[in-house]
Amino acid sequence: MPSAQSALQRARRLARQRFTDPKRRRGLLVAFEGPDGSGKTTQRKLFKTWLKSEGYDVVTTKWNSSNLIKPIIKSRKAVRALSPEEFSLLHGADFRHRVEQVILPALWEGKLVIADRFLFTGLARDVARGLDLDWVLKLYQPLLWPDLVFYFAVSPVTSGKRVTATRLPSYYEAGQDITDVDDPVESYQRFIARVIREYESLALIFNFITVDAEQSIAEQHRQIRELFIDGQRRPWSAWNVEAVADWLARDGKRQ
Amino acid sequence: MIAAARHGRAKLIAVDGVDGQAVFAAARAALAASTSGVPAGTHGGVSRWDASGIFQDLEVADEDAGSPSPRTILLLYAADLAFRLRWQVRPALAEGRTVVVAPYVQTAIAFGRAAGLPAAWLDNLFRFAPRASERQVVAARDPNAVAIKDGFVGRASAHVAGKDTPACKRLITATEKRLRRGRHRRSRGRGDRPTRRAAP
Repeated sequence: MPSAQSALQRARRLARQRFTDPKRRRGLLVAFEGPDGSGKTTQRKLFKTWLKSEGYDVVTTKWNSSNLIKPIIKSRKAVRALSPEEFSLLHGADFRHRVEQVILPALWEGKLVIADRFLFTGLARDVARGLDLDWVLKLYQPLLWPDLVFYFAVSPVTSGKRVTATRLPSYYEAGQDITDVDDPVESYQRFIARVIREYESLALIFNFITVDAEQSIAEQHRQIRELFIDGQRRPWSAWNVEAVADWLARDGKRQ
Repeated sequence: MIAAARHGRAKLIAVDGVDGQAVFAAARAALAASTSGVPAGTHGGVSRWDASGIFQDLEVADEDAGSPSPRTILLLYAADLAFRLRWQVRPALAEGRTVVVAPYVQTAIAFGRAAGLPAAWLDNLFRFAPRASERQVVAARDPNAVAIKDGFVGRASAHVAGKDTPACKRLITATEKRLRRGRHRRSRGRGDRPTRRAAP
């Protein structure tokens, strides 16, 4: 029986072969990031429709959406008893499960995965809740880097106006667990300003493509198409070999 | 549960092991030894926790939701531990009580190592948990006799190995070996809460 170490080495080789094979269309991962009310979901839907018309096989995954973990998060949010650490860890578990069950299998098959929010959402929100960036980032290891990250930049005021135009933000969305402000709208304004500051730092560190989300919907969509056409020619990021190998090593079938 | 009143200086005692019944018995003995001489009803308590709530939630999920990997299980265990620390352990320690946590982080780390996860990742994961002032590892008399689905390790192994009973037993035995050897890395930083900045 091969040791865990040799299984991992073999998995690394397989990952490199699969994702750098010039004869295959390799899987692509595109992440849409930004604060609530930045219009990223609208753009994600337009982008998906366009990609399908171009012949891409597209899979979408949304934040906090795994069938396994989402109900757990929902029930714990309902009683408003989550500490920042517990909030962070539960969302990390949901993300890991989707990486293993949805994202990596689709990429392996050469599909294009659109992530409506990616791990950067966890980083921005958790750090805005006072947690240490290094601790949170390591929870998400082995890291899987998207081929492209579109960051939809809006001001805290615009985000607040768009979100509160039709509804009241929920308790955790408004950051009421840490602001101690009773009014969800006021709490949201304070919290989202902090989240946006963290996003702006992450955009610099991780080289996001920033889209001015205060522009018209049509202009943003045109820009995204152009950026995607240029960006998809980038070579596969070798940083991802550990994430793929970690998944492959546990999945004997693909080996 | 954490019961009763103040007992001098706060003390956190960790009792780890794969055999849920034996760990609980050892935890009660550790509490009794730590609080001997203290009037009955005024000592601390045992925090018995096997993340059973999380596992029950996982068990009722649809089949197409997929099985959680060891990494996902440990993230969930850590989330549950954060809850336990916030609402049960830290308040009791703040009142100066003795708390025996059974099991604690070493059991989870040993399970993670047995399942092939990197020590550095596990070490970071539990950085938020306070360091215990005393630690005990309860050896299982016969790891093969440890019931699947008993305690955290039995439940976690059943999730990872599914219906493959020999694989499940191998995982329990490997966890037991890891715990006995105690060779998992411990960073100096563990016990520091990851929070560094003031919340807004």
